[in-house]
Amino acid sequence: MMSAIDYALLIPILPIVAFPVILFIGQMFNGMPSWRNAWKEGGTIAVVVLGVVLGLSLSLISGYIGAVSGWDASNASGEVSAHSATEANDDAVSANVGEYDSWINFHITDGDNLISESFGFGIYLDHASVMLLFVASFLCLMIGIFSLGYMNTDEINLDRNHRFYAEFLLFSAGMFGMVLADDFLWLFIFWEIMGLCSYLLIGFYYDKPSAAYAAKKAFLTTRVGDVFLFIGLLMMWNLFNSLEFATVWSDAAIAQVVADGNQGQLHLALGMMFIGAVGKSAQFPLHVWLPDAMEGPTPVSALIHAATMVNAGLYLVVRMIPFFANDQLAGDLSTLALTIAWIGGFTAVFAALIAFVQKDIKKVLAYSTMSQLAYIFTGLGAAAWLLNNGHTTAGLFAFGASLFHLFNHAMAKGMLFMASGSVIHEMHHAHHKINHSHGDHDDGHHEEDHFDAQDMTNMGGLAGKMPITATAMAVGSMSIIGIPLIGGFWSKEGIIASTWKAALTDGGFLLIGPALLLLIGAGMTGFYMSRMWFMTFAGKAKTPVADEVVEETPFIPIPLVILTFMTLGAIILASMHFIGWASEGFGHFSLDIVSGLVHELKHAFLPGGDDSVSSILFLVTMLTIFLSMILGPFTAMALYGGRLDAYKAKPWLQWLINLSHKVNRRSHFDNTAWAESSLAEALDKRLYIDDFYDNICEKWIVVPFANICAWFDRRVIDGAVKGIEYGSQETSTYIRSLTTGSARDYIMMAVLGIFAIFLLIWGVA
Amino acid sequence: MIDPAYAIGLGAILFTIGLWGAFTNKNAIIVLMCAELILNAVNINFIAAAAQYGDVTGWVYAVIAIAIAAAEVAIGLAIFLSLYSQRETINLDEVRLLKN
Amino acid sequence: MSTHQNANFKMGEREMILITGFFAIIAILTYMFPSLAETNSAGQIDWITMPLVGFPIIASGVLMAFASMASRRRKHNIEVPIKLASLFFSLFMLAITTSLFFGILESINWDFSIFNSYELEFSYAWNTTLGVNWHVGMDALSFSMVWLTTLLLPIVMITTWEEKAGWYHHPLILMMGGALIGVFVSLDLFMFYVFWELTLIPMFFLILKWGGSERRYAAQKFFIYTFTASVIMLLGIITLYFLNDGSFDITELTRSSQAASDRGDVWLGAKMQNALFLMFLLGFLVKLPAVPFHTWLPDAHVQAPTSGSMLLAGVMLKMGGYGLFRFCVSMFPDALVNFQWLLLTIGLVSLVYGSLVCLGQNNLKKMVAYSSVSHMGVITLGIATMEPLGFTAAIFMMFAHGIISPMLFAVCGSFKHHYHTLEIGAMRGLARHSPFLGVFMMFSWMASLGLPLLAGFVAEIAVLIAFWKAFGWWVLLPGLTLVITAAYYLWSMQKTIFEGGLEGELPESLQGESPVDISRWEGSGMMIMALLIVLFGILPWIVFDMMSGYSLAVFTGILGFGGV
Repeated sequence: MMSAIDYALLIPILPIVAFPVILFIGQMFNGMPSWRNAWKEGGTIAVVVLGVVLGLSLSLISGYIGAVSGWDASNASGEVSAHSATEANDDAVSANVGEYDSWINFHITDGDNLISESFGFGIYLDHASVMLLFVASFLCLMIGIFSLGYMNTDEINLDRNHRFYAEFLLFSAGMFGMVLADDFLWLFIFWEIMGLCSYLLIGFYYDKPSAAYAAKKAFLTTRVGDVFLFIGLLMMWNLFNSLEFATVWSDAAIAQVVADGNQGQLHLALGMMFIGAVGKSAQFPLHVWLPDAMEGPTPVSALIHAATMVNAGLYLVVRMIPFFANDQLAGDLSTLALTIAWIGGFTAVFAALIAFVQKDIKKVLAYSTMSQLAYIFTGLGAAAWLLNNGHTTAGLFAFGASLFHLFNHAMAKGMLFMASGSVIHEMHHAHHKINHSHGDHDDGHHEEDHFDAQDMTNMGGLAGKMPITATAMAVGSMSIIGIPLIGGFWSKEGIIASTWKAALTDGGFLLIGPALLLLIGAGMTGFYMSRMWFMTFAGKAKTPVADEVVEETPFIPIPLVILTFMTLGAIILASMHFIGWASEGFGHFSLDIVSGLVHELKHAFLPGGDDSVSSILFLVTMLTIFLSMILGPFTAMALYGGRLDAYKAKPWLQWLINLSHKVNRRSHFDNTAWAESSLAEALDKRLYIDDFYDNICEKWIVVPFANICAWFDRRVIDGAVKGIEYGSQETSTYIRSLTTGSARDYIMMAVLGIFAIFLLIWGVA
Repeated sequence: MIDPAYAIGLGAILFTIGLWGAFTNKNAIIVLMCAELILNAVNINFIAAAAQYGDVTGWVYAVIAIAIAAAEVAIGLAIFLSLYSQRETINLDEVRLLKN
Repeated sequence: MSTHQNANFKMGEREMILITGFFAIIAILTYMFPSLAETNSAGQIDWITMPLVGFPIIASGVLMAFASMASRRRKHNIEVPIKLASLFFSLFMLAITTSLFFGILESINWDFSIFNSYELEFSYAWNTTLGVNWHVGMDALSFSMVWLTTLLLPIVMITTWEEKAGWYHHPLILMMGGALIGVFVSLDLFMFYVFWELTLIPMFFLILKWGGSERRYAAQKFFIYTFTASVIMLLGIITLYFLNDGSFDITELTRSSQAASDRGDVWLGAKMQNALFLMFLLGFLVKLPAVPFHTWLPDAHVQAPTSGSMLLAGVMLKMGGYGLFRFCVSMFPDALVNFQWLLLTIGLVSLVYGSLVCLGQNNLKKMVAYSSVSHMGVITLGIATMEPLGFTAAIFMMFAHGIISPMLFAVCGSFKHHYHTLEIGAMRGLARHSPFLGVFMMFSWMASLGLPLLAGFVAEIAVLIAFWKAFGWWVLLPGLTLVITAAYYLWSMQKTIFEGGLEGELPESLQGESPVDISRWEGSGMMIMALLIVLFGILPWIVFDMMSGYSLAVFTGILGFGGV
C-alpha cells in the first residue's frame, strides 16, 4: 500500500554510507583541481545525496498522508496500525511501518520467570515524525547548498572540506534515523550519533583551542543529559519490557503499569528522559554548550540550531506526550509537566536577557535559539499538563502549536544562520580586499588577528549592499519575533495563549509563572532580534570594511530566497489548520484558505474555543502583540536605528530603515548607564554559569578528586605492592650479609647447623 | 678385640682436631687436610659401629667414603692450584669470591 | 654466546630460544599427536588439538629455533619468510575458527547451548596415574574467546609488522596464540593450569625484549604478580583434585556440582565451596584485573611493546573473565550467590575508581590501561547481576573490549613510535601532523567510550539493563562512569589531536625531526580493527545470540530455573 515506505530505510542509510565514501575519496584526491572545482571537495556528492533523501522523504510523507487518509476507509488493514501521538484521540493516526530484523535477543528474569526479549529496528511514522522528517531533510539540503558557497570559497577550509561534508552527512543521517526510529533505544542511538557529529563539526577548526574546548564542552554537557536519558530508558524498559513506541503507548501496557501501582516509576523515568532533552536542546541548566558551539563554521550552526541537534530534545518530549495523554495516568504526571513548563519559561527569559548584550551576531542567534526552544518546551509542558488533567482539546491545541513553532523556528532560524553566515563571509572577503589594496601583506595578517568579522559593532548599513541577505534576515527575525501574519506568529501566539489558558484552568495556577515569563520573553525577543537586525543592516557603516561588502558569493542566496518564501508561506500552512493537523489528525485539514485563516486567527487568540476565560486570553494575546511588535522593536530602533549613508535599500526594507531613523532621531533614549552596569557585565559573562561549571570541573571537584584518586592509586595501592617488593628486597639484603665469602665461616655455619639439628632431635626425643 | 667405645672415642678426638684445624687455619691445604681428618673420624665411627653390630654395611660405607675422599682431595687440590695460579695465594681470608 | 646482548638484561637470544623452545617441546611431548582423521562420538573431527593449539606452538618453536641458528646477517634475510610463515599460520587458524563459526566445518549451531556440554570434545589419556587427560572441547563461551584470539593474531602481526627482530617477535605472537587457545579449550584443570602459566612466558619475553626503558621491572612485576595469584588458584585446583577422588576433569566436576545442586545440597559443603571460590576468584581477579589487584597492568602496558599490549589487553585479560564463568559461576553457584556482594563491590569500584584514575593520568598509555581496568569492571558487574542478560553482557564486553582495546594500544604504540613520547599535552595538533593517526585515535577513543553502533555500546546497554533489574538506583554509579569516561577521552583528545594553531606544536622528544604519519602496516591493522568494531556494533547479533544462548544455559544450569 505504501510503496515509499520500502525505501524509508534508505533515508538514514544513504548519508551514513556516503560518510566514509566522501572521507576516503577526499583523502585520496585532495588538492586535485577537478576535485576542488567540479566535485566541490565532496560537496556535490553531499548535495546529491541530500537531494535524493529529500525526494525519498517527500514520497514517504505523501505515502503516509495517503495511507492515513485511506485509513479511515479501510479501517486498519493490518499493514497500518493505529497508534496515535495522543492516544486519547482516535483521530490521530500513525503508521508503524514494518519491523526489521531483530537487533539483539536476550533473556532476563522477570520475577520468578525467565523471559525472552529483543530489541529490533523499525520505522515509525506519525504526524510529528513526518513533520520533523520534512524539516530535517529540507533544511539539510538547503544548508548543503549554502555550504557549497560558504565553505568552498574560503581559503582556510581548502583541502579539508571533504571532512566537513562527510560529517555533515553523518549528522543529518543521525537526525533522519532518530525521527524514523520506532523505539526509544534507536532514538537514543541516533541521538548519540548526533552528539558525536556535533563534537566533530564544532571542532572542525581543530587547530583553534577555543573550538577544541567548545567541542569538548558540547559533547560532555550533552553526555550528562544522555546518561540520565539512558537511565530513564532503563526504568521504562523495566516497566514495559519494551521500548517500542507502539508497545509502551498502548493502553494495555499502561494499564499494567497502573495496576502494578508503578505510576511513580513511570513519572520518574519520564523525568529522567526529560533531563536528556534538556541537555540536547540546551535548556537551563545544561545550556552552556550551545553558545560555544558557534566555534564551528556557520553551516554547522545552522545545522545544529535548525535542522538537527536541538530539535532532537523537543522530539523526545513530543514522544513522551502520549503518556500524558493517556486517561489511565490522568493527573499522575502533572509535576513533570509543570517542570517542563517552568524550565522552558525560565530559559526563555534567561536566554533572552543574555542575548541583549551579545555583540557577536551568531551568539545573539544562539541565545535566541535557546529562548525559542524554551517557548516550545513551555508549550509542550502546558500541553502535557492540559492533556494529563483531562483538558484534551486545549492540550492538543497547545501540542500542535508547539510542533508548529518547532517548524517555524527551524525554517526561520536556519535562514537566519545562513544569512548571518552570508554577512560574515562577505565581511571576511571585504576585509581581505581592503588588506590587499592597502598596505603590505604582513600588516594585513597582523590586523586580521584583531578584526572580528562576526562582531556587529563592525557592521552597520549593510541593507543596501546585501539586499537578499537583509530581506531574509528581516523576514526571519519577524518570524521569530512573531510579527502578525508572518511565520512564527501563528505558533507563538498559540503557545502563549495555551499556556495562559492552562494557567487559568482549575489547578493550573502553578503555570502562571511560565505564562508570565513567556509574555515578558515575547517583548524581549522583539528587542534583541530587532537590535541584531538594526545593528547589522541599518545606520552607517561602522568600519571601512563594512563599506566594501558586496553580496557576490555563489550558492549562498539560493537557500536564502527559498527559505524566505518558506517562512512567509507558513501562513498558508497555518490557514490549513496545521496546528490541528499536527496534533489531532487529518480530519481538520482544510483547503479553504480564507475561512481557514479567519478560523486560525480566532483560534490563535482563543485556543480551545472555550469562552470561560476568553477575555483574559484576548488581553494576553493583544499584550503579546504589543510587546513583541511595538515595544521591543521600537526600543531597538531608538537605540540602533539610522539611515544608510550612500546606498539605497530595496523598497521593502527602505521603509523599515526610514522608520528606524525617525524613531532614533526623535527618541533621547540613552542606555550607556545600563550598558556599563554590573548587570550588563554579568550578562556578558553569561551570568557566570559557565565559569561556575568550569570551576566545578577543573578547579574544585572533579579534576582534583581524580588527581587524588591517581595519587591514591600510585602511592597507596601500588605503594602496598611496592612495599612488599621493597620489604622482600630489604630482607634478602639482610640475609645476604651472612654470606661472607669466607670458607671458614661456612664451615662454622655448617657445624652450628649440625648442632642445631642435634638439639632439635634431642628436644623432640 | 678393641672395645668399639675406644674406637668411637678416637673418632671423636680426630673429629675435634679436624674441626679445630679447619676453624683456626688460614692455609687452604691445611683446611683440606683437616677435612680429611673429619672424614676419617667418620670412617672410624662407621667401622666401630659395624664391629659392634656385626653388620657389613658400615664397612661398605667406609670404603665408599674413602673413595669419595680421594676424589674430593683431587678436586680440592686442583681448585687450589688454579686459585694459586690466578691469585698467587691460598690464604682463605683473601679469597672471598662468594661474598654476597 | 649470542652477540646481541642488551644493556639491561643479560639474557641472550639463544637462551630465550632455549627456554621458550623448552616449553614448546614440553607442550608438544605432553600432548600426544592425535590424528586429524579420528572422530569423537558426535562424529566431529578434532579441529582443536593440532590445528589450534599444537601447530602454533610447534611452529613458533621451530621458527625460532631456525632463526636462532642463523647468523646475524642471515637473520635479516630470513626475517620476512619467518614473519610470513607466522602470519600464514595465524590466518590458517582464523580460517578454521571462522569456518567452524559459520558452520562450514561440522555445522555446529553455536546459538544453542546446553550447560556443561561441549562441541568438538576430545579426550586422550595422558597420565592415568595422576588422572590427567588431554581433554579439550568448546562451548559458546570458549568459542567466542577462541575466535577472538584467532581474529586478533593476524591483526597484531600486521600492525606490528615492522617491529625489530621480527624473526623472534612474530613466532612469539603465534606461540602466545596457541597458549591462549589452550587455556580456552582445556577441559582438564591440569592442562588448564599448564596453559594458564604458559601464556606468561611469551608475554614475559615480549615485554623483556621489545619493551620500553623500564621493561625489566615491568616484566618481573607482571610475571610475579600474576604468578602468585595463579599459585593460589593452583592450591584451589589441588584441593579440588583431592576432594573429588583425583579428578581434574572440568566437565565431571561441574556435573557433580550440578548434581549436588539438584539434590538440594551444597557441593563440597558451604565452607569448602566458599574457600575454593575465593581461591579461584583471586587468580581471576588479578588477571582481569580488578581493583585493588590491578597495579601490574599499567606498568606492564606502559613498558610492553605494541604487540604485547594488544595481546595483553585483547585476550590475556579475558582469561580472567573466562575463568570466572568456567569455574566461579559454573562450579560454585552457591558460593557465587554468597559472594554476590563482593563481586558487585569489586565491579563498581573497578568501574568508577578506574575511570577516575584515568582522569588523573598524563600518560596516554597508562590512561588507556586504566580504562581497561574500568571496562573490565563491567564483566564483574555483569556476573554480579545474576541475570542471563548480565552474563551475556559480560561475555560481549569481553569480546568487544577484545577488539577495541588492541586498537587503543595500537594507536598508543604508533604515537610512541612516531613522537617518542606518551605524555598527554606534550604536543598539539596531531590531526595536522599525522591525520590518519588522528582519525584512528579518535575512532578508537570513541569506540571505547561507548558510542552507539560501535561494539562497546551493545555491551554497555546490556549490562545496564541487567544492572537496573538487579540493583536499581546503584545504576547512577555506572552512569557517572559514562560521563567520566567521556571526560578523560575527550580531554586527552583535546590536548593531543586538537589545538596548536595552524603550525601545530611538536613534542620536545622529537628534537626537531619532522613528524610522520602511521605506516601502511599500522594503518592496515587499525583499519581492520575499525571495521570489526563497526561490524560488531551494527550487527551485534552475529556473536550476541551465541553468547545469549550460553548465558541462558549457564543461568538455568546453575540456578535451576525452568526454560523460557
